[in-house]
Amino acid sequence: MIQFYYAYQPIIDFFLLSVGFGYSQQIALRAGVFSIATAGFAALGSYCVAILATKTGVPIFLTVILGTALAAAVGGLLALPLARLRGAFQAIATLAFVQIILSLLLYGEGFTGGALGIVGIPREVNTWILLIVVGLTMYVMWNIGRSGMGRVFNALRQEESVASSLGVNIGKYHIIAFIISGAVGGLFGGLQSLYTFQIEPHNYGFAFIVNVLTVVILGGRTTLLGPIMGALIMAILPEIARPLAEYRQAVNGVILILVITFLPNGVGDEIVFWFRRRKQARQQQHRASEKEARDAVS
Amino acid sequence: MLSQQILNGLVSGSVYALFSLGFTLIFGVQKLLNFAHGATFMAGAFIAYYCTISGLPFLLAIGFSMLATGLIAILIDLIAFRTLRNRGNAEFPALVSSIGVDLILVSIAQQVSKTQVLNFPFGTFPIKFYDLFGLRISLLQIVILAVVAVLVAALIFYLRKTTFGRQVRAVATNERAAALLGVNAQSVYLQTFFIAGALAGLAGVLIGLLFNSIQFLMGEPYMLRAFVVVVIGGLGSVQGAIVASLLLGVTQSLAVAYLPSGLTDAIIFGLLFLVLLVRPNGLFGDINAVAGGTRQ
Amino acid sequence: MPSLKLENVAKHFGGLKAVDKVSMEVPPGEITGLIGPNGAGKSTVVNMISGVLALTEGDITVDGVSVATDRADIVARKGVARTFQNIRLLPEATVLDNVMIGFHRREEAGVLAQMLGLPAARRDTKRFEEKAWDLLRRFRMEDFAEYEAGNLAYGHQRRVEMMRAIAAEPDIVLLDEPVAGMNDVESDELATIFRELADSGMGLLLIEHNVGFVTRLCKKVYVLDSGRMIASGDPEAVVRDPQVVAAYIGTSGH
Ligand SMILES: Nc1ncnc2c1ncn2[C@@H]1O[C@H](COP(=O)(O)OP(=O)(O)O)[C@@H](O)[C@H]1O
Ligand SMILES: [Mg+2]
Repeated sequence: MIQFYYAYQPIIDFFLLSVGFGYSQQIALRAGVFSIATAGFAALGSYCVAILATKTGVPIFLTVILGTALAAAVGGLLALPLARLRGAFQAIATLAFVQIILSLLLYGEGFTGGALGIVGIPREVNTWILLIVVGLTMYVMWNIGRSGMGRVFNALRQEESVASSLGVNIGKYHIIAFIISGAVGGLFGGLQSLYTFQIEPHNYGFAFIVNVLTVVILGGRTTLLGPIMGALIMAILPEIARPLAEYRQAVNGVILILVITFLPNGVGDEIVFWFRRRKQARQQQHRASEKEARDAVS
Repeated sequence: MLSQQILNGLVSGSVYALFSLGFTLIFGVQKLLNFAHGATFMAGAFIAYYCTISGLPFLLAIGFSMLATGLIAILIDLIAFRTLRNRGNAEFPALVSSIGVDLILVSIAQQVSKTQVLNFPFGTFPIKFYDLFGLRISLLQIVILAVVAVLVAALIFYLRKTTFGRQVRAVATNERAAALLGVNAQSVYLQTFFIAGALAGLAGVLIGLLFNSIQFLMGEPYMLRAFVVVVIGGLGSVQGAIVASLLLGVTQSLAVAYLPSGLTDAIIFGLLFLVLLVRPNGLFGDINAVAGGTRQ
Repeated sequence: MPSLKLENVAKHFGGLKAVDKVSMEVPPGEITGLIGPNGAGKSTVVNMISGVLALTEGDITVDGVSVATDRADIVARKGVARTFQNIRLLPEATVLDNVMIGFHRREEAGVLAQMLGLPAARRDTKRFEEKAWDLLRRFRMEDFAEYEAGNLAYGHQRRVEMMRAIAAEPDIVLLDEPVAGMNDVESDELATIFRELADSGMGLLLIEHNVGFVTRLCKKVYVLDSGRMIASGDPEAVVRDPQVVAAYIGTSGH
């Protein structure tokens, strides 16, 4: 076990960070928002933490809180102009948001180190911390799924007009989804910068966007298991597909196309749905036999 | 030199137009974002490069490259879009699968070029400069402006005056109604994808020449710029895309010249954001970007 | 219990007067009928009341307060619920979850309580679940609770819509052709439920093609034709009105 851990520690850590970013991406999609802003939130959290940790004496713990709060606040603000947009236009607007953040990071050289980024960030985060934070995030996501908020998100994703006919304030719930997406993205961005020693704007570019999307598409957009399965596949795949290492991005591309075409709910969601269906079938059987018994008595 | 910057801006803007037209055409017809359009553009430059260095005359190389990128675009439609489209509600899935195609094409290009920056061999295109009312303009710039003007005019003619154009518009408005009128939507899709791919391929060649640099990631910034163009011009609007492309080219070249370097992107994407805020349907668009929540 | 009133309400789509100066009232504790041939403007009336469409003219009030410019969710929060003529369910969700979303405006737990799984949030869910099962039993749908709503038969889908609309106990319910496509046994079952709802004080606006069904249930009936109100009043008298008969000749009114 211990040996396994040391051999695979980088992969495990990568997996945990991917899960975290995956939840940030998932919560938006789950609420029916085509946001790809997670990269921007992660960049905000990560730079906030890196700058505070390297240039000020703010306690590390507090830097993460501040990074999370900053990304959450920006997420909430971002939701306001986006309130009127839907579908492809949301995707484009959030993409523009990421580009604006990245170019400001490049521009603010004195503060952000420009293209070279920030080096010498204290390495305060390890596997256990990541594990605990992922666990807490999952707990919150689980609660959301079982509460009224989860029901509202499901309704918004599937049929917005129904939700508003039942009193759902669409704008308010989009703001909530963006705040959560921002907070989770910023939180894991902060952890990432305390893990990797060095960050640069490039880390949060197109490749990041694609990776996070891939995690959620492979895993699933609605269940707790989704990002875990997605991140797991993304972490293990390079190990299995070693011979294709040079074509890793192409392999990812092929998998994206295959999954979205033939398994559109994603692996994790499909697993959960399968168990759900089996349970339903059992309950039905149960009820039918109960009914039979009752009919036999009367 | 303000006017010199504007001229340079118009040249790059006209290439943006070439690139964005196909993108906006596909959106107009299918209401889908083709994220692999940038990779198609890159493929155009790559194919022309390898044709040229294997001895093909340059013009032939360009023609071959346009044909190939047109076919690549058709492949994108068949592989990434068709199944999803038939299932309905394809907006998000299609975005994802076209990202998949993008990854494949970029990855292949990376391997083929061994991550190197490629240049067209010296003398592929004559380097000549002219003085025009005190402005310095290269032969290449003149050719680019002329080629783009001719192609755009041809495209507009094609869309406005031919049966195909009518079919495109019919399918764009309402696929089912078009089918009832006997328009074969699949064939319209294949044609629009071919045109879009060929134009993107040519844009790739022109940019490869203009900056004398070809590399596997070159599509990405153009893809991002295309988003700016189609939002400002109104997704699906051909005229809007042309005006917005030129606007973008000029804005960018002025921003580079007169503003702190590095702020260009922030300004361009800020502009995009602003337009989305004030006029979500774009300055010329007629597609409804806004939905839900309000009384209509 | 409040009453819903429309005063000189009009909706124009370009040159088309889909609804033209219509006044009517949906009082509490009664079933009010709205009939008229296809394209008469009935659904447009529902869409204006429920906040989907803006009014061209006129005013709509609930309990004397105007809701004419309120957003759909605010109208709902003021106690006006609706069903859709072209059924709109959450296709991936189970029947139970489709009903559960109907309780949204009765939620007591705040956002933070929901995220942290505090008792308040769990109480909400538990309370709604109990009420949802009551509804399922009342509509004789309990055997379908775990079915995906998208896979249900048409008549069952209509019932899910109705359960969802009345879940939060609205004051007014707008039912846009709720028994369309159902057989007589099924629609009689629903008729009983409609009566019970009215007896409990709810005001129902029942839109129907089937004149017989409406006359049996409604205390007062309004008749729309080409956007104009051509008759209103006692159902027995209204269906004998020559104008109404003329409007229905050659249409699918049974
Ligand atoms: N959004 C709309 N835009 C344009 N015309 C509409 C719209 N909605 C309804 N109409 C027109 O208004 C008229 C009334 O429609 P509707 O209210 O659906 O009738 P009903 O429900 O009585 O069958 C019809 O002619 C219909 O075509
Ligand atoms: Mg109707």
